[in-house]
Amino acid sequence: MLPATITPLAASGSFLITPNVGLMIWTIVVFLISLSILRKWVFPLIGEALDKRAKTIEGDIDAAAQLRTDADKLLAEYRERLHEARGQADEIVQRARSTAQSHEAEAREQAQALIAEGKARAEREIAEATRRALAELRSEVAMLTVMAAEKVTRKSLDESDQRRLVEEALGELDFSALSAGGQGHPANN
Amino acid sequence: MSAVATAPPAGVSTPTQGAPKPAAPNQGTPKQGMSKGKKVFLSVLAAWIGGIVVFVILFGIKPHKAPDVVSGVFSPTNEFKLDTWFKLGPVAFNKGVLYLLITVAITIGLMTYIARRLKQRPGRLQVAVEMFYNFTRGMSRENLDEDMQRKYFPLIATIFVFILVSNLIGYIPLPVDSGETFKLFGASIPSFQIYAADTNVAFPLILALGVFILFTYEGVRHHGPFGYIKSLMPGGIKGPIVGLIFPIEILSNFLRLISLTVRLWANLLAGHMLIAFMGGELGVLVGDQYVQWALLPFGVGIYLFEAVLIAGLQAFIFAILTAIYLGGAVESH
Repeated sequence: MLPATITPLAASGSFLITPNVGLMIWTIVVFLISLSILRKWVFPLIGEALDKRAKTIEGDIDAAAQLRTDADKLLAEYRERLHEARGQADEIVQRARSTAQSHEAEAREQAQALIAEGKARAEREIAEATRRALAELRSEVAMLTVMAAEKVTRKSLDESDQRRLVEEALGELDFSALSAGGQGHPANN
Repeated sequence: MSAVATAPPAGVSTPTQGAPKPAAPNQGTPKQGMSKGKKVFLSVLAAWIGGIVVFVILFGIKPHKAPDVVSGVFSPTNEFKLDTWFKLGPVAFNKGVLYLLITVAITIGLMTYIARRLKQRPGRLQVAVEMFYNFTRGMSRENLDEDMQRKYFPLIATIFVFILVSNLIGYIPLPVDSGETFKLFGASIPSFQIYAADTNVAFPLILALGVFILFTYEGVRHHGPFGYIKSLMPGGIKGPIVGLIFPIEILSNFLRLISLTVRLWANLLAGHMLIAFMGGELGVLVGDQYVQWALLPFGVGIYLFEAVLIAGLQAFIFAILTAIYLGGAVESH
């Protein structure tokens, strides 16, 4: 086809469209040399390097994905631990609060007991002191009564008279006013 | 525009100050000065127009044709003529051969240099070569099966890089125009010109012929001689129309050889001729000096267009058509 197309034009002397046979041979020779060298020594090296890099990148991506998974796992673990620690801290605070409250209640109870005990002891001591005072007062009154009766009668009284007089005098006296604070009637003691 | 124009109307007070807002001096005014690009463009335009005027003043608009043009000795196509420089036995050397040798030296030198110094962290040149490799491998994968790809990827990649380098060096002016010489220190030096081996039809023709033989061989090997001829027919065509379609398909198969050849050759030849014409030859032919100056920017524009786009595009088209033809030869309709 082609030579038939070209021949008349070539015959007209137009070198532009006449294939230069020498150049054709040169072209095919240098092209085949290029092809054989590139195929043998260049393309395999480039292909190998690109494949190697692709594998490295793949490996890096896998490693990065693994790292990411590990990091996520670690993060979840830390979060869990943090959650646990917060729970523990809350529990400790709660426990401390309840302990403090129980200690406070205990201390209050102890203080109240101590107060009550002190109060009871004081009351007992007051009552004892009152009783002793009343007894002393009674003996004083009795002695005074006897002395008064002896002076009035100008005679000594015997023991039965003295007892009777004391009894009468004491019976007439009201000691209730002395036992203030509801400590019971002294006459009853 | 002035400050008065942009000031708020009298009596309009701002809520905070209760006084008229002072006008910003530059607010609303058009941007002063031109961008750097616009300045450069206008300067070049002015130089171009000024140059035309100067040439017209100096030489007038009357043609001053050179004697060689008048006598018909000078022809712009002469620079594509392959004059034999010397012979070694039956082997003739000319500028086409020189360009082929430069092409093969750069192709092998560059690719081997990169391949021997491949680094894990590539430099710019290595990135470019790797991009080319991946691009060509992708092109092969899309059109060829695994076996064919392993077999023909080196061929497709070599075609691509070989034509690309050949095209690109075709835009570097070299002293190869033996038809026009100049004297330097007494020696006759060929004039500088831009030339590419594939502006001669021999270059693309032999490559296209090789591709044609290869895909025909693969088709015959895969389908058998009659099977291959049958496979050229589109599927689903039956009846008397087969007699009409079949010769067309056979013809179109052979036309691949011509289209593959002419596409590369004509693009490169036309591109180089356009650059030469616009770069001054048209001015020489018509004999008007100002025409040379007037067309120079177009020459530069076409040069850039050819070097940046056409050189790579034509190499790519030749390579991908090779892959398509090879892939198509072994697949059934």
